[in-house]
Amino acid sequence: MRSGAFEVVFATITWLAVSCLCAAQQDAPPPVSTDYAKPEPVLSGSVAFIPTWDGGKPNLDSIVTPVLLVPLGNNFVVESRAELEGNFQRRNGTTGGFTGPIGKSLDYAELDYIGKRYVTVTVGRFLTPFNIFNERFYPAWIRNTQTDPLIFPLGTGSDDGVMLRGALAATKDVVLNYSAYFSALSNNGVLQSERHAGMRAGIFLPRRRLELGGSAQHQLQGRRGTRYGFYLEWQPLRVPFDLRSEGEYSRFEGNGFWVEGAYRFRNANFLPLRRAQLVGRTQMFHTGKVRLAVPELPTADTKRTEFGVNYYLNDGWKALASYGRTFTAAGNRNIWTVGMTYRFVFPMGFAQ
Amino acid sequence: MNFARTMSVLLLLSATGLVFARSAADPGPATSEKASVSAEEPNQKWMIEGARRYRENCGRCHQAPSNFSPRTMAMVVRHMRVRAMLTEQDTKYLLYYMSH
Repeated sequence: MRSGAFEVVFATITWLAVSCLCAAQQDAPPPVSTDYAKPEPVLSGSVAFIPTWDGGKPNLDSIVTPVLLVPLGNNFVVESRAELEGNFQRRNGTTGGFTGPIGKSLDYAELDYIGKRYVTVTVGRFLTPFNIFNERFYPAWIRNTQTDPLIFPLGTGSDDGVMLRGALAATKDVVLNYSAYFSALSNNGVLQSERHAGMRAGIFLPRRRLELGGSAQHQLQGRRGTRYGFYLEWQPLRVPFDLRSEGEYSRFEGNGFWVEGAYRFRNANFLPLRRAQLVGRTQMFHTGKVRLAVPELPTADTKRTEFGVNYYLNDGWKALASYGRTFTAAGNRNIWTVGMTYRFVFPMGFAQ
Repeated sequence: MNFARTMSVLLLLSATGLVFARSAADPGPATSEKASVSAEEPNQKWMIEGARRYRENCGRCHQAPSNFSPRTMAMVVRHMRVRAMLTEQDTKYLLYYMSH
């Protein structure tokens, strides 16, 4: 799509979305008083240890992701997440001692202004709102399958810039949400970002627990390509089942999708079984016109299917194990994971 | 190209104007409507509504959290309003539910 056409489509969709949001009259504020609960700073985050065997090569993956949340007045919040990740592999692939780098990254460090009802303005470094995996399912303690989707590097990551976002109930059964953002180019090691503009819009049907949405992102550098995405999340009312899916398309970089289902044995008669969850995910990636346009993407057409089990020891601890097989022209291989994740929340306690 | 850029800028400016005009016009929760809340006697109607919204929103992605103080919950809910695109209604009911 030509750059000018993208700008008009982007602006028109944004205008329509915002107009719909502003016109909706169903979102009356509830008469609930929560004045008794003034927010306090919180240090949260997760710790994960997830050994992985990919093609027989062990990788001891250790991740610490602290999240700092600081409220400022009634409408502002400063939030930040860093990620320390150790990838320790054997010196000779399958033999020798474990060694490897410890990666340090700043996922987001942003100031949010929560507007009256429909808009939140974010400035700083934020997670790219391209589809929903990056923002909602990325933390190890949340995701159902521990390996990243093959298409994950496409259009996601972190941005340095400004973002508008919001949500409102258009009717009792329909919630609209949107994000529109601009990111500047940064080659700084910790603050790397691409110069692009994009948007995401979604419709959530809370009574049906179904959310559908789409994303578009246009690069304002390099090839000036455009990326498109769609996503779906559904939880049937009567069955403890999660269905999640995303698809992405970029002419230059490639395209693909993933579909993930997870069944929790909530209704099992044997009580300990109620903490268990079976997970399955299948995915596909096709390379684009330019190979290695994004170095983290597979270099050949790839398919991968995985199955696993998660066991929720309590709200903070989760044990997991999975097996998958990757199919590529370069050779098929197995991928095994086992591990533990822990989510923590520490109130900082001092007054604002 | 120039026409496209001009149109884009005008549309975005009008959208931004709509947002702020709408925000400024919103009266927000009327103080007179606010009922007094005591920790001992939670409003059952709000609790049921909060539980429903918890299942519909939070439960889609993660497990129920531990019991934290209302102030900690207020911070978590404010964070999730931004992260998970919750509505203002959702955040109020959720905070009420999760802090009782």
